[in-house]
Amino acid sequence: MKKTLLIALSLGVSVGATSAMANTVDPETDRQQLVDFFKAKSPKIDIADYKNGAYIYSADKLAQWEAAEEFPPYLDAIDAGEAAWNKDKAVFEKCFGSDVSKIRVKYPYFDEGTQQVVTLEGAINKCRTDNGLEAYKWKKGTLAQVSAYLAYNARGQKIDVKIDSEGAKKAFNAGRELYLMPRGQLNLSCAKCHTYNAGRLARSNILSPNVGHTTHFPVFRAKWQALGTLHRRYDGCHKNMRATPFKAQSEEYRNLEFYEAYISNGLEINGPGYRE
Amino acid sequence: MFNSNMKKLLTALAISSAVIAAPVTSMAAEKGASTVEEGKKLAFSRSKGNCLACHMTGDGAMPGNIGPALIAMKLRYPDKQKLYDKVWGKPETQTVPNSMMPPFGQHGILTDEEISKIVDYIYTL
Ligand code: HEC
Ligand code: HEC
Repeated sequence: MKKTLLIALSLGVSVGATSAMANTVDPETDRQQLVDFFKAKSPKIDIADYKNGAYIYSADKLAQWEAAEEFPPYLDAIDAGEAAWNKDKAVFEKCFGSDVSKIRVKYPYFDEGTQQVVTLEGAINKCRTDNGLEAYKWKKGTLAQVSAYLAYNARGQKIDVKIDSEGAKKAFNAGRELYLMPRGQLNLSCAKCHTYNAGRLARSNILSPNVGHTTHFPVFRAKWQALGTLHRRYDGCHKNMRATPFKAQSEEYRNLEFYEAYISNGLEINGPGYRE
Repeated sequence: MFNSNMKKLLTALAISSAVIAAPVTSMAAEKGASTVEEGKKLAFSRSKGNCLACHMTGDGAMPGNIGPALIAMKLRYPDKQKLYDKVWGKPETQTVPNSMMPPFGQHGILTDEEISKIVDYIYTL
């Protein structure tokens, strides 16, 4: 009990420091504190299981989800992604190499040249436009399918985002700040739902923890009846907060993804995932 | 800075008008019953109060459990004004760090009148 309190407090302190925008936090210390916070909150749940999102909090929902994953509704989308990849194979291989199992794990990363976070979806479209092909539409459709195909081929590998420069540290802190600060009419922040209240119910939805948020994207949502990217989900959550969303692949969402991916380091990639 | 002063001013205004409005509704008995009904609708509506997202509230289906159950409100808030202030989001009622409770009046999510009706309703729970 005492330990829980201490950890909650230490998280509070680092949160306080960011809200004052006084200084930046060390990403690895921050990640470790967050993991300790979740361990104290749910001592019985193995951190490795956080790749399963909200389902870790309910045995019933987990069983239903596991059953759904046996014959997952996203298999056609993976096939469509493979077909799209093969159609423009020469171009894609020029950008990403020929081993499709080695691509997903490299993203997101911080590009020292441009001082920007590069996401997998951003790189796919940049590769296309650099080579005279038309960019795919963001958020859903072929882009999500190609991303799902690459995630599927990378299953079992672990998230391994590196931060070893001032620029990368800044991008992490910018993403973290967007995650922590209340925004929008309802005065909510991502952290209020996905950290402080993870595991609780918003109506009948169990709130997932932010550690593990990026492992299984793109996601096939029952509600969408199709695949959607991580930035599509960010857009949806911002709208639910009655906050103005940023554009998919904007600097803000790339930094947010960088932050969420870094704190998920060490977790298995298990995308694409099925979600309610 | 200006913004926060502005908010304080708005808070002060809203509260004084609520004090004036309160006795009027409680005087007329029939009107009282219908504001409770209206308050319930507003509290349950997803685009208005959406209290059920976070609170067990009366007989509302599938409530969330982020906030405490809204029960025995009369007992816990003998001073109805304090309950109004809490839902309105008067700064001195926002004491829980990182609370999810939206400041309904302060952020213009609901009008003062709507909040009054919701408070009339939850006061019956
Ligand atoms: C009012 C509560 C609330 C807020 C605030 C909120 N979300 Fe969500 N979010 C949800 C709910 C409910 C779901 C669906 C259940 C789940 O998986 O957590 C969800 C799902 C997600 C998912 C998908 C999780 C998965 O396993 O597939 C991500 C990623 C996410 N939110 C990120 C964010 C980010 C980033 C923010 C801030 C920009 C945010 N959310 C703000 C309620 C919220
Ligand atoms: C997004 C989540 C959320 C929504 C929506 C919400 N609340 Fe809350 N509410 C909370 C939380 C969390 C608390 C406890 C922390 C606090 O007091 O700030 C709380 C506290 C309260 C309290 C104080 C309870 C006590 O025990 O003293 C009242 C009264 C209240 N809410 C009423 C309402 C009403 C009425 C609505 C709808 C108009 C509503 N809430 C909507 C999350 C929410």
